[in-house]
Amino acid sequence: MLGGVTEWRALLLLLSLSSLQAADDINAAVLSLAKKTAALAHGEAVSASYRNLSSLPPADWGGLRGAFESALRDAGSRVADNSPVEARLTVSQTPAQYLIVEEARHGDDRQVWIASWNRATTGAPTKPAGISLQVTEIWRQPEQILDVAFFNQGMLVLTPAKLTLYTKANDAWIVRDSAAISSSKPWPRDLRGHLRTTGSTFQIYLPGLACNGNTAPSLSLDCRASEAPWVLESGNRGILLATLAASRNYFDGRVVTQTGARKTVAPFYSAASVESQGRTLWVMAQTDGRAQIADGALEPLGAIPQWGSDIAGIDAHCGGASQVLATRPGDYTEPDALQSFTVSEHAATPVTAPALLPGPVTAFWPSGPAAALAVAHDNVSGDFIAYLATVACAN
Amino acid sequence: MRISAFILTACLLSAGAYAATRPRYGGILRVELRAPFETSDPPQSGFGIVDLSHGFQINLWEGGRRAIFNADDNAPGGRPFLDSVEIQLSRPLREQSLDLETGKADLIELGPNEIRRAPAGRKTWSSQPVRIIALAFNPRADDARVREALALAVDRATIWTVILQRQGEVSAALLPQWLSGYAFLFPTAADLPRARSLAAGAKPLTLAVGDPMLRTIADRIQLNARDAGITLTVAPSGSPADIRLLEVRVPSTDPARSLAALASAFGLPEPPHTDSPEALYAAERALLEERRVIPLFHLPDVYAVSPRVKGGPGISPLGEWKFGDLWVEAPRP
Repeated sequence: MLGGVTEWRALLLLLSLSSLQAADDINAAVLSLAKKTAALAHGEAVSASYRNLSSLPPADWGGLRGAFESALRDAGSRVADNSPVEARLTVSQTPAQYLIVEEARHGDDRQVWIASWNRATTGAPTKPAGISLQVTEIWRQPEQILDVAFFNQGMLVLTPAKLTLYTKANDAWIVRDSAAISSSKPWPRDLRGHLRTTGSTFQIYLPGLACNGNTAPSLSLDCRASEAPWVLESGNRGILLATLAASRNYFDGRVVTQTGARKTVAPFYSAASVESQGRTLWVMAQTDGRAQIADGALEPLGAIPQWGSDIAGIDAHCGGASQVLATRPGDYTEPDALQSFTVSEHAATPVTAPALLPGPVTAFWPSGPAAALAVAHDNVSGDFIAYLATVACAN
Repeated sequence: MRISAFILTACLLSAGAYAATRPRYGGILRVELRAPFETSDPPQSGFGIVDLSHGFQINLWEGGRRAIFNADDNAPGGRPFLDSVEIQLSRPLREQSLDLETGKADLIELGPNEIRRAPAGRKTWSSQPVRIIALAFNPRADDARVREALALAVDRATIWTVILQRQGEVSAALLPQWLSGYAFLFPTAADLPRARSLAAGAKPLTLAVGDPMLRTIADRIQLNARDAGITLTVAPSGSPADIRLLEVRVPSTDPARSLAALASAFGLPEPPHTDSPEALYAAERALLEERRVIPLFHLPDVYAVSPRVKGGPGISPLGEWKFGDLWVEAPRP
């Protein structure tokens, strides 16, 4: 037991000098405890026991015992049952660190030592699943990604605060330039933004803001306040002009079709055009949770009840019909999945297994004629991860 | 999901769950609280209602009755998805549960009794154990042997099982295990024979209870004390007493800051600041060594939530309300 205030303050000073720094990793933490244990044992064997109160991955936890016993041998001691020197090691954790708490006893001498190391964030990239839906990670970063677009040897990454131009060198993306984006109003909570590229030029759609720019000869960007409709594409098939509701995350239903016809439909989050038996259909993921199937004039035909709010049409033709990729329904805080479907006038049929993503999809846009760009918010690492989803037809 | 079962047709509409993935704007979140907040203005400190200032603006405040907060269109981080939050105050826990079951409330508090009665599958949000329930001795209670006797007499395990319905954790530490990583080092087991020997000749003591919810725990401690030979009288709230049964909240996810704040709240000396877990443990052990404070339990905030509330959990690990990202499901078309 510690004595008076003076004594424990002195001990604290010693402790703070000796163990202010967290160890680099579990091995360094184990090593420091093994040295102290060996010093306490004075050459005698140590009876060790272990328990885990943490979320440490099983592989790391499983290696603790071997690492401690090896380090103990290196420090001049060894492990043996029924030794008068006892060491009880408990792996524990705080919000920021893992701890190994050792309660050591040699006769009346009782000690508590705590070694710690910082909890590293571990990503959980999800491998593409399914037979023909290929989901490939292309970029990840802590800042929210609204959209990613590719051109020649370059990549544009749109975030709430800036547009960044990357070029590829030695198989790695290198920042070439960036341009800040600012809005006079606060961004909506579920911010959406879309990039469209044509050669070296591009357009950016953001709530209340429209930007035009060029990547050559250097990155240029000109943004203006605008409530102009966004251009929604589906592969090479359909184009729809749709107006994003002010300060919201959905389109208000006012649309203009490719033929110039104006129409008001139910508010929707996303839209995709699909070809079915030579006929062009539209699917709109409405804010009420239904995906509405409509004809080319946007007259309702049927509805799909079990899709998420983000869909994208692509040009892949497997089995004579084009594909719609859709997220799955559920809470925005849950891991999401992408799945490819063909759509008829009244129903949707899956053509691939779902490809699981490590978090909810926060952005989903067509990316060229045959792919879609999905951004998932990784629930574990907190990173936003951009994926390119493509459908490969069987031979 | 099997592919063959995934053919989706319009005829499934009536049975389908209308759950959009993306957050939906609009709707009212109806909250019920036990606390009356009988003040002329909304609280400016603490947790819960005060957290609504991030994203919402007060529209109506009737202390002891109800409050309405509306979404702030210019909130940093964007306007909340909800249009408003309506709070009914002074609502007993039993009635809160009934209101949730009958669809009159979306978010209610769950006490231990309600957790026991809650139907299976009910959606709940729980913070980390952030409420420290502890006995704090008045500075004039200067008999260290009696303080230790009471610490050894309290049967935490039984109180936790019977009264708290296994909610939270039994603990003899100030900092909860999730925050310090070492709380298990402080022993919690009762030792009645030793308590009896230490309590020999002890003077009668009084115990004050601030929160009526803690009264049943105080009554049980009174019985434990009697078994150890200590005469303990539970005094009315607000009256001077030798010991107080208190609830104090963990204010931060930084263990060192929280230890300093808890020490201050319990009237203990300020511990030295340190970032080392080992030094923090030594500091906490020193704070508790004289048994002027006897930690008993670490309890979480627990809320039951209507299935129509999405985007949760709407509370942080510390129990702060994070309602800006919540939304309510659209009425079925």
